Amino acid sequence: MDLKTLCDMQGISGREEKVRRVVRDACVKAFGADAVALDGLGSVIATRKGSNPKKPRVMLAAHMDEVGLLIVSATEEGLLRFRAIGGVDSRVLVSKRVRVGYDTPEKPSLQGVIGAMAIHQQTAEDRKAVLPIEQLYIDIGAKDKAEAERTAPAGTLATFDTLYTPFGEGCVLAKAFDDRVGVYNLLRLLDAPYEGDLVFAFTSQEEAGCRGAVTAGYRVQPDIALILECTSANDLGETPEAQQVCQVGQGVCVSFMDNASIGNADLYRAMLAVGDQNAISHQIKQFVSGGNDAGAIQRSGAGSLTLALSVPCRNIHSPACVCSLKDIDSQEALVRAYLKSI
Amino acid sequence: MDILTYLQGASVQFGPSGHERETAEWLKARFEPLCDEVTIDPLYNVLATKKPTVKPKNGGHAPKILLCAHMDEIALMVVDILRDGSLRIGNVGGVDPRVLPAATVTVHCRPDSGKPQNLLGVIGAKAPHLLTDEERKLNYKREDLYIDLGLPVEKVKKLVHVGDLVTLNGQTVGLLNNRAAGKTMDDRACIGVMLEAAERLQHLSHAAEIVFACTTQEEVGSRGAKVAAHTVNPDLAIIMDVSHAPIPASRPDTTVPLDAPAATYGPFIQYKLLARLQETASKNGIKLNAEQAERSTGTDTDDVQIAREGVPCVLIDLPLKYMHTTVELLDMNAIRECGRLCALFASEIDEGWDDELWI
Repeated sequence: MDLKTLCDMQGISGREEKVRRVVRDACVKAFGADAVALDGLGSVIATRKGSNPKKPRVMLAAHMDEVGLLIVSATEEGLLRFRAIGGVDSRVLVSKRVRVGYDTPEKPSLQGVIGAMAIHQQTAEDRKAVLPIEQLYIDIGAKDKAEAERTAPAGTLATFDTLYTPFGEGCVLAKAFDDRVGVYNLLRLLDAPYEGDLVFAFTSQEEAGCRGAVTAGYRVQPDIALILECTSANDLGETPEAQQVCQVGQGVCVSFMDNASIGNADLYRAMLAVGDQNAISHQIKQFVSGGNDAGAIQRSGAGSLTLALSVPCRNIHSPACVCSLKDIDSQEALVRAYLKSI
Repeated sequence: MDILTYLQGASVQFGPSGHERETAEWLKARFEPLCDEVTIDPLYNVLATKKPTVKPKNGGHAPKILLCAHMDEIALMVVDILRDGSLRIGNVGGVDPRVLPAATVTVHCRPDSGKPQNLLGVIGAKAPHLLTDEERKLNYKREDLYIDLGLPVEKVKKLVHVGDLVTLNGQTVGLLNNRAAGKTMDDRACIGVMLEAAERLQHLSHAAEIVFACTTQEEVGSRGAKVAAHTVNPDLAIIMDVSHAPIPASRPDTTVPLDAPAATYGPFIQYKLLARLQETASKNGIKLNAEQAERSTGTDTDDVQIAREGVPCVLIDLPLKYMHTTVELLDMNAIRECGRLCALFASEIDEGWDDELWI
């Protein structure tokens, strides 16, 4: 499955079915139907039985869902009020196009736009204050409330209208790199050589609070879990060095700590050593920020050793995310090399 | 004319204020089949003339009508190349910084040697989780934003120069109810009105000479229109520009409904010409709302009115929502109706049109 197809797919937390379908099919093809399960939250758990029971049971996890918008009501004028699913900064929404509803073969999604008051009509106060999500709306051209409610009833989802596109030198631009890069690499790792049990968990609802990882972690009960993620880079615009998280193009980002978990210290050192020994470009996450499935998996059941390996991403959770293809490859390479090392 | 196709084509033409040549050439080709003569003047104004098809009724002077809408777009400019290869940006016209975070843009590079090159860029800002609580409540200022090209700094320095222009990206899309949204509807949608009028005039006789002017540099102060009005030297003028349709946050008396054109009233507008326009609309079942401008109209009207010895003007507004964003949203039926109104109005102007204009 190529990265473009995965990123262009619509799959907001709780509604990951499009991603789930292709992931399930790929896992069934690789390991047979009996090795693939869907758990109570819709995560896909594919188990590759190992030949050597002495080897640790390793879980590789990536989340299928992306951030997006949830329609909650329509105004008298026929505009759609919405809330964000996942952490979306309302400042990236103004003047952007969205796809309202999921595409189906019978019915394509609708085009919508998020407008805001023209600069000519803003007061000094308007210019300063951030428009909160509650004051934004999606305009699909509906004439009134009835038409809007009929066309996009409450509960309809909307995704950023961005298609995956090559960008600059060795970079790509898309929505939903977080965490389709992880999904993409997990699929590439299905054939990774390892003698122990290897479990691939494609989790749901990370952006809604790491829900899927809680139950996936419980089911898998791994010894070691590697979380393949995407993290904010924040490396441009002369951001003071102390606030830069990581650099796009400098390799996969190994995280000793984020707001949800402290990576296992031994695993962290082992991972850096594997990166060095195999000359796989990697960097250390320089700033404690964000949180991911590692937190949920680390403390589920009897606990496990966890470590997050993240692809640096500019403008994460926005309609225009930027990642480096080299960094995406180095995430896959580092996991592959690590599996060989244990 | 298929209006959506026109809007999609027009909105992607490169034409920041003062740099409209490419847009001018594209528009010239659109007017050529519909007019007798089309020229581009030194300010890149496109002047398309349609000669009278009938003689004035008493064999006297054929009046000359100027129809006018601007082609330039608001844009950005590279003002600095940072050490990390990202670019700081300045304004060409009134770009609202609120639309910029996570917007995609095109940087139009003009290197010292070799071919001009267009680069895709993304506008970035400091990540929200790294902002203080106070900063989080404030919009990003343009000075705080940057363009990311995804290129190493050495390459950026080779390709990009301070002063290179940056246009906003945003494909024009059709919405429900014959509405459309995209960038640069301000004011290329009104040039669409003129094309629609020119098409209809193929089937109407007119005693007046009609000049369609696609003007330049409106966003920096109606500079193209000033020159166009001088060159054309019209007897009367119809100016078309966009205005604001209501949104939930609108304040009272600052908007006109989206679904129909509106005519402006106020001191800059010749009141009898306005009455005539309203009469043409009502006679032909064209909905025409009204909008006030107690002083400056903020459009080309302000300069056309005082060209040479003075030009009686009317101003027709095409309402849209979200002006100066990349999702300016309008009703394509309003474009069609506005074109019909202009064509009918112009076709009825004959010798004697101004007999009782001032008294």
